[in-house]
Amino acid sequence: MSSRKSGEISIKGLPGSEGIAIGTILVLDKKKRKVQPKKIKSDAILAHLKRYAKSKEKFLIELDELAINLDQKTVGILETQKHIASDIEIEKRVNSCIEIELYSVDYSIYKVFNEFIERLKESGSELFQQRIIDIENIRDRLIDLSCEDEQKLEIEKGAILIVKDISPTDLVAFYEKGVKGLVMDKGGVTSHAAIIAHSLDIPCLVSSKIAVDSASEAKKAILDANKGELFLNPTKQRLDEYKKEIRRLKRVKKARVGLQQPSQTKDGVDFHLRANIEFVQELQAAKDYGAEGVGLLRTEALLYGGIAQKSEVEQIKFYENVLSQTDGPVVIRLFDVGGDKLNTHTPDEANPFLGWRGIRMLLDEDEMFEGQLRSILKSAGKYPGQVRILVPMISLLEEVHQVKKRITKIQKGLKKEGLAIDESIPLGIMIEVPSAALLADHFAKEVDFFSIGTNDLTQYALAVDRGNEQICTLYQQHHPSVWKLIELANKAAKENEIEISICGELAGDEIGAACLIGMGITDLSMSPSNIPKVKEALVNRSLEELQAFSKAVFTCSTSNEIKAVFKKMGLANNSPD
Amino acid sequence: MIKKKVTILNSSGLHARPSAALVKLASKFKSDFYIHMYGYRVNGKSILGVMTLAAEQGAELVFEVDGPDEKEALKNILELVENKFGMQDE
Repeated sequence: MSSRKSGEISIKGLPGSEGIAIGTILVLDKKKRKVQPKKIKSDAILAHLKRYAKSKEKFLIELDELAINLDQKTVGILETQKHIASDIEIEKRVNSCIEIELYSVDYSIYKVFNEFIERLKESGSELFQQRIIDIENIRDRLIDLSCEDEQKLEIEKGAILIVKDISPTDLVAFYEKGVKGLVMDKGGVTSHAAIIAHSLDIPCLVSSKIAVDSASEAKKAILDANKGELFLNPTKQRLDEYKKEIRRLKRVKKARVGLQQPSQTKDGVDFHLRANIEFVQELQAAKDYGAEGVGLLRTEALLYGGIAQKSEVEQIKFYENVLSQTDGPVVIRLFDVGGDKLNTHTPDEANPFLGWRGIRMLLDEDEMFEGQLRSILKSAGKYPGQVRILVPMISLLEEVHQVKKRITKIQKGLKKEGLAIDESIPLGIMIEVPSAALLADHFAKEVDFFSIGTNDLTQYALAVDRGNEQICTLYQQHHPSVWKLIELANKAAKENEIEISICGELAGDEIGAACLIGMGITDLSMSPSNIPKVKEALVNRSLEELQAFSKAVFTCSTSNEIKAVFKKMGLANNSPD
Repeated sequence: MIKKKVTILNSSGLHARPSAALVKLASKFKSDFYIHMYGYRVNGKSILGVMTLAAEQGAELVFEVDGPDEKEALKNILELVENKFGMQDE
């Protein structure tokens, strides 16, 4: 995968988010850091002891913050974690490992915890097999916290972050500290971190496999996420080449961002391009690219580390942060996760995508569901007319009835408390399960809007898991069956005079967007950095052209035929299907 | 120093939450608290220590309490064991 030329190393990967960056590199190899037994000098003992004490203190505060607003059972789990983190035997041994054996704080924590973990494993008891993972997590969190201050110093503005894997939350934190590029050895182009990188508008390379191991001695790198290549220790010639290319791309981007003309087709038909986001930090890119509000606000990041949801106070803070910084509507999608993201000891599901997730889970988890609804409704009261609620994974009409009942109940409660509410807050559903598309005419009588999640709709319509490499060519988001389901929802929406929008990846590619506008769906939400190219494709065409285009699409019976239509219309992109 | 033999009654043994309850209670007392089981001796105020015993239902332990408030400590700890650590039997 790599080739050497005068010290330069080139590593190939897949482009997760377009762009080019030149910068110093920052390698984050948690595993490596943990297993390295570093010795310290005796004058550093005190500092390391302090770092250990501080990491415990911070961890306990984190757990306390989590415990606000949680049910009894979950609080019990957090209590156990607190006991483990402040275990006196651990404390004694870590301190002596630092003081007497002169090991660094991170290695001391690692070593001592592992002694206990090994014994638990040896005991062979079924009792603790699950707990071992918890204990490892506590160990890793303490190590992270004990090294936090050290890490802060290492980040330079414009650095390129090289990791095996990273959580979206961590990525946002690094972005805020100045990271301007991401290389990830694992993951595919649809992995969560890649989507966030795209949305933050920083270049990202995924599936690079060996970048972490290769980068240990390099200082500088060029990340070309357009071609899918990383150059470690680039030659001067290569640097000059890329500096030129960056200047060129900046000019192009400026021209695109400066696309200030109104969102109208050549013949004056309005359309709306909105942003899909998950973090407040993404709003800047949304604004820069001229998004008209937030068409999809994902809320899963509020489910902290899979342990528990954040408190209502924190949820409200998040919603109001987004609302105050957005001109235009904000569509808030309720927690769209499966049971695996909860800590309620749910059994493993054989088919999680066909399992207990989205609204199915929310209706069973009263406290979580009502907590989120209350947070949203309270925020909506302060920003009337701006919030819209979107319910994920709806497959049955009864689910809509139940959601409405809960909302009415909570609104009543808030009113009684004397709080402001938005009486006519719009309620919409995701159309992502084929049953909802097929019965769209019935659903349309019950809700205020539809939002079509084309990614899941494609997965469910074609019965294909897009993460499964063996069959990923079957994941065809331009497939005629998908268009047909969208048209069913569209027709029902138009007949019942409710709004319809698209928030899947289909809206973010020029071809998909062109066809959707041709069908009369003019409200599209996408990753912010896709907005310019979509807008460019739409403003240069007339509605008539686009209508003819979608009409032609509906005569096709295979994805290949549709591809041929795209070509004929002069609309070809590098989309895989 | 006093010693006392006890048997674990909980159907799922001394798993994480009972261990936490035991450690929490023992830590309230000044006396040292050790648990012996099949030749092992662990600090009864250390949750990880207690967990590594992996004591299942029916396991026989010896509690060793040593210190100024040992009698009161042992009395309270034994009550907790008899009450199955305040867990409803799972």
